[in-house]
Amino acid sequence: MILAGIAAASPSPAAVPGAGIFTSPLILSLTIWVPVIVAIAMHAIPNPRGRYDTLMKQIAFFTNLGIVFVLFITYNQFQTFLPTMQFEEKLPWLPSIGVTYHLGVDGPSMTMMVLSGIIGITSVLASWGVRERVRPYFSLLLLTQAAVNGAIAAHDMFVLVLFWGAAVIPIALLVFGWGGPRREAATWRLIGYWGFGTAALLVAVMTAYAASGGRSFDMDVLLKAAFTPRVQLAVGVALVIAASTRLPLFPLHGWARDVYSEAPLGVTIVVAGTASRLGAYLLLRTLVAADHDAARLLSPFIAALAAITIAYAAVAALRSADLRWAASRLALVPGGFTVFGLAALTPIAITGSVLSIFTGGLAAALIVAAAWTLTERAQTRSMQLLSGLAPRMPILTWVLVLAALGLLGVPLMASFPAEAMIFFGSFQSQPLGGFAVAAGLALTAVALAVIVHRVLFGQPNHDAPAVSDASLGESWYLGVLAGALLWVGLFPGGPKLPGTDQPIFDPGLINIMSAGITDIASPYVLPTPPAAAQ
Amino acid sequence: MTNFIFVPEGLIVAGAVALILMARAWRRPRWWLPTAVASLALVALLIELWVGATLATFFGGALVQDRFALFAKSAVLLAAALAIAVTDWSDEEAPTIGMAMILLAAFGVMIVASAGDFVGLWAGLELAGAAAVVLVSARRADLGLRLLVTGGVASALVLIGLALVYATVGSADLPAVRRDMAFEGATLPLAIAVFVLLGGLAVRAGLSPFQFARVPVSLGASPLGAGVIIGLVAAAALTVAIKIAAALTPLPAVFGPYLMVVAAVAMVGGGAAALATRSPRARLAYLAAGQVGWIAAGLATHYRSGLGASLFLVGAFALAATTGPALMAGADAGEFALAGIGALRPARAAGIALVFLSLAGAPPLAGFFGEFAVAAAVAQGGNLWLLSLGLLGALMSLAAAVGTVRAIYLQSPPDESRRASGVRLPVLTRLSTMGAAALCVAIAGYGVFANPIISLADQGAEALGLR
Repeated sequence: MILAGIAAASPSPAAVPGAGIFTSPLILSLTIWVPVIVAIAMHAIPNPRGRYDTLMKQIAFFTNLGIVFVLFITYNQFQTFLPTMQFEEKLPWLPSIGVTYHLGVDGPSMTMMVLSGIIGITSVLASWGVRERVRPYFSLLLLTQAAVNGAIAAHDMFVLVLFWGAAVIPIALLVFGWGGPRREAATWRLIGYWGFGTAALLVAVMTAYAASGGRSFDMDVLLKAAFTPRVQLAVGVALVIAASTRLPLFPLHGWARDVYSEAPLGVTIVVAGTASRLGAYLLLRTLVAADHDAARLLSPFIAALAAITIAYAAVAALRSADLRWAASRLALVPGGFTVFGLAALTPIAITGSVLSIFTGGLAAALIVAAAWTLTERAQTRSMQLLSGLAPRMPILTWVLVLAALGLLGVPLMASFPAEAMIFFGSFQSQPLGGFAVAAGLALTAVALAVIVHRVLFGQPNHDAPAVSDASLGESWYLGVLAGALLWVGLFPGGPKLPGTDQPIFDPGLINIMSAGITDIASPYVLPTPPAAAQ
Repeated sequence: MTNFIFVPEGLIVAGAVALILMARAWRRPRWWLPTAVASLALVALLIELWVGATLATFFGGALVQDRFALFAKSAVLLAAALAIAVTDWSDEEAPTIGMAMILLAAFGVMIVASAGDFVGLWAGLELAGAAAVVLVSARRADLGLRLLVTGGVASALVLIGLALVYATVGSADLPAVRRDMAFEGATLPLAIAVFVLLGGLAVRAGLSPFQFARVPVSLGASPLGAGVIIGLVAAAALTVAIKIAAALTPLPAVFGPYLMVVAAVAMVGGGAAALATRSPRARLAYLAAGQVGWIAAGLATHYRSGLGASLFLVGAFALAATTGPALMAGADAGEFALAGIGALRPARAAGIALVFLSLAGAPPLAGFFGEFAVAAAVAQGGNLWLLSLGLLGALMSLAAAVGTVRAIYLQSPPDESRRASGVRLPVLTRLSTMGAAALCVAIAGYGVFANPIISLADQGAEALGLR
């Protein structure tokens, strides 16, 4: 009924940029509402004594596979270099206050959608071992994914707030119900920080709405309105707070350690991979794309936050005596990079940030997933006991090393072009920040080297419990994350037929994400010195 | 069509009278009675939706049928029908009288919704309050007496306030009051009158810190009685408040500041109290008190958009607050009482979860859409401090609601010994399951399909003369 309503009010497929043979005017709604409907249906299926637990897992898996299929179609039919929103859906929702159900994707949001698809299916694979209350677990996981997809595709601030806030409840319940021994603290911290962030976002949206005359929440109207400098600053600060709680950035990172280390693995992957990346996406979509003066004014402050976050994460990881805690701290590093690129406010740095949202999500998810799996297989989280595991855990050794390389952004990993672009673009506008972030990266490298050396290549600890390597199932989800990082690193422009420029099946993430970035980055082109030509 | 306008009221009153007579005639209620009464309320709702769009006035303007009446009556009829459907009638002391009283309470709100003057407003409010007293007395006479005394004080305050407004303005007719206000200045007598009037309504609606009687009474009452107190009586008081606020809109200085302070206290206090308490029914009552604060915040804006948003939220509030206690039935002794109900009574559990989350303003449910609409109106009014306090309250409410949802779905069911100590599962019937499922659809659909509903609420605010 919902879909029929949207279908009736949406423009015809031919008028929608991005439309192709297999498209539908509801293609973005499908990625949001299908998981919701399946979650409700799963909840309604009787499951006496867990008889249909495997079926529930299969339903969740195939729902995600379907979403990936839909996203694959969307990705392939996405018109690169088109600056406008594509696959738009628009119909009035609360017309009396100017709310529209407005969805659409441009390059950055398409990139996020691809990330969400990969993370969604990985999280289901990583949750295959869940044995207790399987039905509600997978229902909540699907609801989480729906909320994340909704926040990505939202082109109306009300819709964004709705899905941004809606993600909190299923994730909190997942941590509460299936988390580790410190799950209660983790849940309350998550609710506190993310709830505070949602409130800050709402304050920003309402301030902008009131200052723009209270006509519309549509991003095209609200973010293009002319605000006084005071309003711009107030909105900008509130947006930075909202983004900092979600990404997270120092000092609003208090939930990250507990949630990443106590939540079940599938949930950790979703939070680290996509739900937290929404923070950077929010800054890109609102502050950087629309509020140019506030972005310029706040950029040194944001750059400082990013640099402190990276340095803090590295130092805290070095001081951690628990491998999962160390990984959860290291998972903050990509977010710092992304935000630093946004704070640099140059076209190349912004482009790097968009790619960094994707690569950072994968790298953060991979490092926490690798640490989680390793500690499960080693039966301990203590760094005192974990030592010299490489000979006994070859698969996990590779994965952990790949995760470390992904975090550092070495060549051939997808994070390399992202970090390179961020650095190239930022030394012009944020030289001090650039040096600080580079120093933070060096610290991160030290922390990773120490951890990898101690855990994998140190002297074996004979007092430690018995260990075993990753199972086939675990290798699957770790492999998908590592593979995605490598794939984009190896083929950022997509694989081509030999001797031609024709992509085989992947048009290339770099090409996809470029659509729309020009529009966002154009106000930030640095003026060329006139004397340079003479 | 004009002749059919009061058919829903007629059906509801006839049903209530018939039930009172049946209660005297039959010692034991018939098994089909809840289905029949819920169907009666639904038929009344359908007739209201069919003929309610007709605009008319009756009895010289004493009763008015407009979009406001259509919206409020539809919301209350839906809430009553669903509450009757989901109630565990084996846990009610006097089921037949209980059904009669909820119909009478609904009738009271319908009178308020249609009232064109002060007399109708007061009469409808008192009728709803009296029905609640009867329902509470059926289980606890002492609490019934307490509610009667508190209600009497509230009633006196409302009556004195209305009389003082009448004395100041010179008319009891709402459109005339509004018209005359445009030429009046804000005087101290008028401000005192409005202060007294709003005080009485705040007690009736259970706004913090005036929930001193409502919450303890609702804790001791039967589930249906609690639903009527927390939901329908509060909805009646809020409907009166909306009508009064619309009439007083030309002079916002006489009511705006009171309402803002009361709303801020209610939103934050309701959320904090909900977070602090462990009893599910008390938590629901405090969550409801917090949402009443949001409705008051919408009224304080004194704009059409704010009042329309408040009316929209009243609909969501009435639905959730009336049915919530009835859904929990006997399983309200403590948080452990709801433990594992998600596995044992899935439809009822889903209803309870959605009711709590909607009252907490969690997206994407009815309460969220209503609170967002109010927040937009508050922001337009430039009252960002009120909005910030509201968000703080909503955050605490959300944490409290998540705690209850966790108990419902993530905790194991209590063992037999604990169940024997007073934790009782609601009886499973086809009607209650269908009612709970319908409630879930209503709470989710209220937001997802908000376009026609909020448009009707907006037209309702326009019908009160607001532009």
